[in-house]
Amino acid sequence: MKNYFLIFTLSLSTLIIVAQNNSEIHGDFSLILQSYVEDATINALAADEVVLSNSYFNLLYSNNNFTAGLRYESYLNALLDYDSEFKGNGIPYRFASYSIDGLEITAGNFYEQFGSGLIFRSYEEKGLGIDNSMDGVRLKYKLFKGLSVKGFIGKSRTYFTYAEGIFRGIDAELDVNETFSLESKTKYILGGSFISRYEKRANPKFTLPQNVSAYAGRLNILNGGWNYFGEFAYKINDPINSLQEDEMNYASGSAFTNSITYSQRGFGITGEIHRADNMLLLSERERTGKAYIMNYIPTLSKPHAYTLLAIYPCATQAMGELGVQLDVYYKINKGTLLGGKYGTKLNLNISKINGLEGGYSMLNDNTNHTPKLFSFDEELYFSDINLEISKKVNKKVKYNAVLAHQKYNKDFLEGKTPGEYGTLTSTIAVFDLSYKIKKGHTIRFETQALFAKKDEIATSEHEGDWVMAAAEYTISPNWFFAVQDMYNYGHENESKRLHYMNFNFGFLKGSTRFEFGYGKKREGIFCVGGVCKLVPSSNGLNLSITSSF
Amino acid sequence: MKKLIYIAFICALINSCEVIEGPYMNDVIVPVDTGSTEFVKNILIEDFTGHLCKNCPDAARELDAIHDFYGSRIIGLALHVGTTFGRPYPTDISANPDQKFIYDFRTSEGEELDNFFQVSQNGLPKGMVNRIDYTSENHRKDYGQWLAIVSDELDKEVQLGITINSTVIGNTGDINITTEALTTLTGNYKIVVCLAEDQITNWQKDGDIDDDTYIHKHVLRTILTSTWGENLSVGSTYIDDGDVFEHSYSINLTDLENENIQHSQDVLVQGNGNAGAWESTNMNVIAYIYDTSNYEILQVEYTSLLVK
Repeated sequence: MKNYFLIFTLSLSTLIIVAQNNSEIHGDFSLILQSYVEDATINALAADEVVLSNSYFNLLYSNNNFTAGLRYESYLNALLDYDSEFKGNGIPYRFASYSIDGLEITAGNFYEQFGSGLIFRSYEEKGLGIDNSMDGVRLKYKLFKGLSVKGFIGKSRTYFTYAEGIFRGIDAELDVNETFSLESKTKYILGGSFISRYEKRANPKFTLPQNVSAYAGRLNILNGGWNYFGEFAYKINDPINSLQEDEMNYASGSAFTNSITYSQRGFGITGEIHRADNMLLLSERERTGKAYIMNYIPTLSKPHAYTLLAIYPCATQAMGELGVQLDVYYKINKGTLLGGKYGTKLNLNISKINGLEGGYSMLNDNTNHTPKLFSFDEELYFSDINLEISKKVNKKVKYNAVLAHQKYNKDFLEGKTPGEYGTLTSTIAVFDLSYKIKKGHTIRFETQALFAKKDEIATSEHEGDWVMAAAEYTISPNWFFAVQDMYNYGHENESKRLHYMNFNFGFLKGSTRFEFGYGKKREGIFCVGGVCKLVPSSNGLNLSITSSF
Repeated sequence: MKKLIYIAFICALINSCEVIEGPYMNDVIVPVDTGSTEFVKNILIEDFTGHLCKNCPDAARELDAIHDFYGSRIIGLALHVGTTFGRPYPTDISANPDQKFIYDFRTSEGEELDNFFQVSQNGLPKGMVNRIDYTSENHRKDYGQWLAIVSDELDKEVQLGITINSTVIGNTGDINITTEALTTLTGNYKIVVCLAEDQITNWQKDGDIDDDTYIHKHVLRTILTSTWGENLSVGSTYIDDGDVFEHSYSINLTDLENENIQHSQDVLVQGNGNAGAWESTNMNVIAYIYDTSNYEILQVEYTSLLVK
């Protein structure tokens, strides 16, 4: 790895010297440092190292149609909410790319997504500890007017190594109007993608496919304020490598996502439905864990930013779920009774996700099950109905208020034994008020409350009700100070009615930001776009630095 | 030209998939002949598990399936480890009226191995197959990987032959191990001798079920040598083809059992001392030899503890 770095740095230096004229070099750096002390009250563990850290340094060089970059990563050792397989230092991401005559060639690492990701998504999300970048070659080419094609071959990153599976993929997108020079107000965009994974066959008892493929088609129609997007995907048999017949599943997988949106000034409405059945595509058929997942089913629930609204988030189930969502945005005009001087923004969001009839598709010599295509009365995984009101009262005051009612199948979504926690029903209220004291000085108060109802079948202790209060003072553009407290006052077990206090302050100068914090974190589930991870409880100091040039 | 390349690429991709039609199980399964008196290469699968780990029975069943297919050349060893999945529940009736999961399957040696190989901290179930890939830090294997590795390992040349002779009757007796080099070896090798128990019926989380009739197999009870074993050959790193090494261990099962109980009570996190009730009639001796340079297990053998 050190040799790679040396060669790369020397190459970059040479390039910079040879082609000074149009050269640009950019970079960014981020560091998170966290101390961990034992806190038995919240089951927080101390780290043997006392302090753990993750840091990243990106370097990007470009010169006309040539680009090269690398990322140095350091986990000494990784933060506790990261897989401990992230360990040590290295340059797991490096690439070079150039474009010529409409053809773009990339060698090395790259990220890629076909359509909405139903059959393939290679991406990085540091918050989740996911980086499944590809290592190989990728070509992008505009074949003719309106038709662009991209294809690649490579292996996907897993921590500091690469998974066994070799991926080959191709995606084409056709802008019908552009290709056929249509003058129509309605715009049509067609897309198709194909992915194939090769993995050596090694099973003496069952026949295994060495090449597993998946394909998808998508259509986007736009007309004025209307926008329809639909994508349908299919995966051929992809059994794991086992000698147990019950474990062998030769069923194909399928998924679709459909959304229709209408929007105009001050009003927007989106209806969405998606379904996934046996649609998990891994970089190695034998492995488990999110580091090996190579496709993505977009989430159907609203991604909440407020803490108590997101305390019970919905994790998308690629193996089987059916979900619907309705999202309505409306702005009450200014100058009306409810709109006031600046207008009032309303956002109503309703989502419901349930399982498939009888579970996901299963096929082997003894079992043949295919769930109904549509069945909305199966086991509920998650539902959320929420209304958000955003209003600027005057030049100094604005507020955001949210009222939500959620159902969260904790047993299923967190892999608990049925009946252990059941489905939690909660009502959450949030009020977020900002007051501009004077130019550059703003104070923000946030209060949240969660009232939870225990499932009657639940056998485990119920966390119950929460309240949270936070205050943040910002002195633009350099400083901010924040304090917040989450209080689990409704826990069934009185000894666990605990406060989770956090103090933070930060300093910003130009593109550099320092943030210091101290406090307790609750064990919980953290999700980004329906992909989730378990975050262990912790107690300690943290430091975050980001910078770019 | 570029268009042609793309068209060729697309054709190649479309052909690169395989839809399998049933029946999915192969018609002919050739059983492995394990009746030979000659030494064959055996495989040790160390299954790191826990009775609170709901996915761990899947791994145990895979180990069973591999054993059923390849026969006695596959030797399993279940190590119940860690606090998250291995700890016992409290025995207090009011807190645990059904007395679920109150047994402590953990051992000091299992915990030591787990800490060294960093298995449970990376999530269970995980296992090691002959401990291969330790040097590349890729030794922790998901159970889905075991089969492919077993196939590769079985093809390797047998380098050592182990013969175990147990004279244990009741609670006491001797275990004598004879190791014969079947090829020339250089390096440092250690022999480890364990006791494992089969057919323990006790609670296990199994998917969505808390199963009180679950049968735990080949559970590590103790290691008679130190956790890291003792030298196969004393004073030399050269082992000649045909060299023979003898190791003997006198055991008292009651003492070993009490040590385990005491360890659970005094040392293990949330241990409760409920780690006894060993059943000697279901116990086996497992002896294995590993290369100290990379921890790879070269040979493993087992036999029942009690004299038949």
